[in-house]
Amino acid sequence: MSTNGASASKTLDAIKTLGFTHILMIPDSESDRLYRAIGSDPAISLITPTREGESMAIAAGLWTGGKKPLVIIQNTGLFEAGDALRGCGLGPKVPLRLMIGWRGYSGAVSGTGVIDSAYTYTEPILNGWGIPFWRILNDEDLPALGQMDRTAEETEMPAAVVTGYAFRD
Amino acid sequence: MIERMDVFRALTARRTDEIVVITMSATRQWPVVSKSDLDFDFLAFGMGHAGDFALGLALARPERKTIVFKGDGGQLMSLGSLVTKGAYAPGNLLVLFLENRTYETTGGQPFSERVDFDTLARGAGIEGGGATGKGKVERIETLAAFEEALPRLLTEEGPHFVILPVENNEEVPTISHSLHSGRVRTLRKALGVD
Repeated sequence: MSTNGASASKTLDAIKTLGFTHILMIPDSESDRLYRAIGSDPAISLITPTREGESMAIAAGLWTGGKKPLVIIQNTGLFEAGDALRGCGLGPKVPLRLMIGWRGYSGAVSGTGVIDSAYTYTEPILNGWGIPFWRILNDEDLPALGQMDRTAEETEMPAAVVTGYAFRD
Repeated sequence: MIERMDVFRALTARRTDEIVVITMSATRQWPVVSKSDLDFDFLAFGMGHAGDFALGLALARPERKTIVFKGDGGQLMSLGSLVTKGAYAPGNLLVLFLENRTYETTGGQPFSERVDFDTLARGAGIEGGGATGKGKVERIETLAAFEEALPRLLTEEGPHFVILPVENNEEVPTISHSLHSGRVRTLRKALGVD
């Protein structure tokens, strides 16, 4: 049985293999290990904006200029960034690649505790905007990053992966 | 106060191969003085984020200046982005901050008279900051001073954040904005990306 949560180092390896040049990332408690792994790797440029809408616009500018950015945010930030995602991704057909932390997932599937509304609305929001997405719950799911990347490239539209647990070392 | 169209005319007189990002009301006046595939009409790309898009362009294309005409009302929608520029803006980013103290596009509604954008930009770390550690925040009050500063602003390593108090007494034409996706791909082609 797979361990819950993907390895931060293996996730970073997968990101680098796909040729991403910049990562726009706002830290959260579940992605902290990934944030530290990215920050300690000089091969990739890490930018930490102050809000997720900024991330979308900076990423769109990077892509327009010929770079390949990856936006890493939590689902709460996805909700905040709705207009920027519309304006900089969906409207102009900019293939933004998104990795979205699914806050509330682990609590919801364990059946313990209160259901976090951030969990509840994540997949319906992505479906509503027509953004294809794949779940990453452990290391075995990491190839989904490639699927997401290829889909964004082929459709010239945003695509996403959602990460269901905190990243491990 | 400087007439906004005079700012545009002064820049076009000196411009060579710089990218120029424009947004909101300015997108209706800039085409009167410029028709270039390196112009980027940001209207409807996301409220308050023209400067962020320009930051991404500047990071991607360090070989040329990226200039963005940023409005003060839009800046209020993304104040934190000043902090991002204070940390990451590269030397080829020039922000021409059009300060008219209103939300002009939506009818000229005022915002707090107490806002001081010079202080906000400095407090966000742009002065002496950006990726180069050479960021400059300055306020230019007259057209003559702007024309005098332009050769420096277009060649000197920045990033630069230039506050221009402006008014608009010229006609704002009605124009048809092109499709979002077309604007992005026109610029990519002009940059040699596609």
